[in-house]
Amino acid sequence: MNLVERAVSNGGELAPLVIPNGLTNGTGLMNPSIFIDDDGDILVNLRHVNYTLYHAENEQRFPSRWGPLSYLHPEKDVRLATENYVCRLDKDLKMTDYAKVEMLNLHQPIWEFHGLEDARLVQWEGKYFLVGVRRDTTTNGEGRMEYSWVGLDKDKWAVKETKRIRIPAPEPNESYCEKNWVPVLDLPYHFVKWTMPTELVYADPNSSSSKQVALKHTTQPLSDQRGSSHVIKWGSLYLSITHEVDLFKNYLEQKDAVYRHRLCVWDEQFNFVGLSNAFSFLDAQVEFCVGAAVLDGDLLISWGFQDNAAFILRTPKAVVEDLIMEALSYEN
Amino acid sequence: MKIEDLIGELSKDPFNPELNFACAVEYEKSHQTASAVSFYLRCAEYSTNKSILVYNSLLKLARCFEEQNDRVNTVSNCILQAVAVLPDRQEAYFMMSQFHERQGNWQECYTWAEMGALVTHDYEPLPADVGFAGWFVFDFEQAVSAWWIGRREESLRLLTELSEQELPKEYADAVKHNLERINAVI
Repeated sequence: MNLVERAVSNGGELAPLVIPNGLTNGTGLMNPSIFIDDDGDILVNLRHVNYTLYHAENEQRFPSRWGPLSYLHPEKDVRLATENYVCRLDKDLKMTDYAKVEMLNLHQPIWEFHGLEDARLVQWEGKYFLVGVRRDTTTNGEGRMEYSWVGLDKDKWAVKETKRIRIPAPEPNESYCEKNWVPVLDLPYHFVKWTMPTELVYADPNSSSSKQVALKHTTQPLSDQRGSSHVIKWGSLYLSITHEVDLFKNYLEQKDAVYRHRLCVWDEQFNFVGLSNAFSFLDAQVEFCVGAAVLDGDLLISWGFQDNAAFILRTPKAVVEDLIMEALSYEN
Repeated sequence: MKIEDLIGELSKDPFNPELNFACAVEYEKSHQTASAVSFYLRCAEYSTNKSILVYNSLLKLARCFEEQNDRVNTVSNCILQAVAVLPDRQEAYFMMSQFHERQGNWQECYTWAEMGALVTHDYEPLPADVGFAGWFVFDFEQAVSAWWIGRREESLRLLTELSEQELPKEYADAVKHNLERINAVI
């Protein structure tokens, strides 16, 4: 059973996120990141891309010209470009406000992935940040996490980037691409950089520096667990949704992929407790979770469907507790 | 049914072609064509072979990519796939002819219209409209393209015949406009 059915059949709710026509040319609205701020407002950073993901599933009888999995950008424009919208939802998860984030014009992008990708929205010490990966500052697409400080004017509902800090990996900072560091909501400026083993890092929002603050042994998972949702406190536990990906090629050497998610559980000292069984949200092969928040005891999970649609799933507490129980019985 | 309700239903039966199709139609109504693409494609892939929903979904995919602009290889690929699914239906031939008209590929436009006009069956309309306004569309496409491939008299004759028919306004205006332009240069 997929997680949406599991949640909805237990009293949960699924809300699609759509920005009204005319702003986005119809291309992908994806990978939303939900966050509840100090005012109690339910905010979402919604990623808009200039492409449409084409993914033929099942027997793949109708692939694109480029194979079953293709990023269909404009044919005369090879960029895969991202812009971000910050939205506000009401308690029924209906969108009431939205605004494109006005980014600082700090450089000319020099690689084909443009913009701040899969940014998680957080508020620490009263300040809002979008924390995502940017890959357009070098000619080889090197990826580093970045803090985009954002000012949010709730009266005019306008969002502006005010400062940008590129975060190096902890020394020796030699990796090609750092992404999906997931913020620990109750530990300002701390991220789970890697899940198993669990690597916790601190990244200074004012200067380009980061350092490892904990590295906790875990068993080796069958599949690498990568960061997806924020890390949230749930009673005496920390929870985060992780993702795993199987990248493969068909007999024509055309790329394909299957993404699945799990709930990862740690204790208060970030000792690994366990992983739930793998789940999908709506049984698509490409889905991606980028956020989680607690509302009235339930878990709001924000996720993208095939890079083309965005949803919030209100997951009842009982379903979350079941996933935690699965994690507690995790064996590898 | 609203998209929220449809998606809720879909969660219980995620591979159901009809539900995927219905979700796609709703997203397309709000011009969220990327979202519509996902669900039309799932409808096509999880339907039984050669069904009308597969055919309709593939043509809708073409329309969605057309709306996004500058995806011409994908648009034509989707239409070709639809032709291969139900080659005895007329809509895909029309869409391919229209596609080539928009690209200025006049011989292709003319030829696909000729092939479409040869379809003998007159099927019920598709569950979701793809812009096939009637059999006259093949004459229209040939009338427009004939001019550009040296068939001036044929173009003039077809446009004149079309001008004497009751056509949807969009087509009636186009016929009138084309006749005025031709009469101005001959």
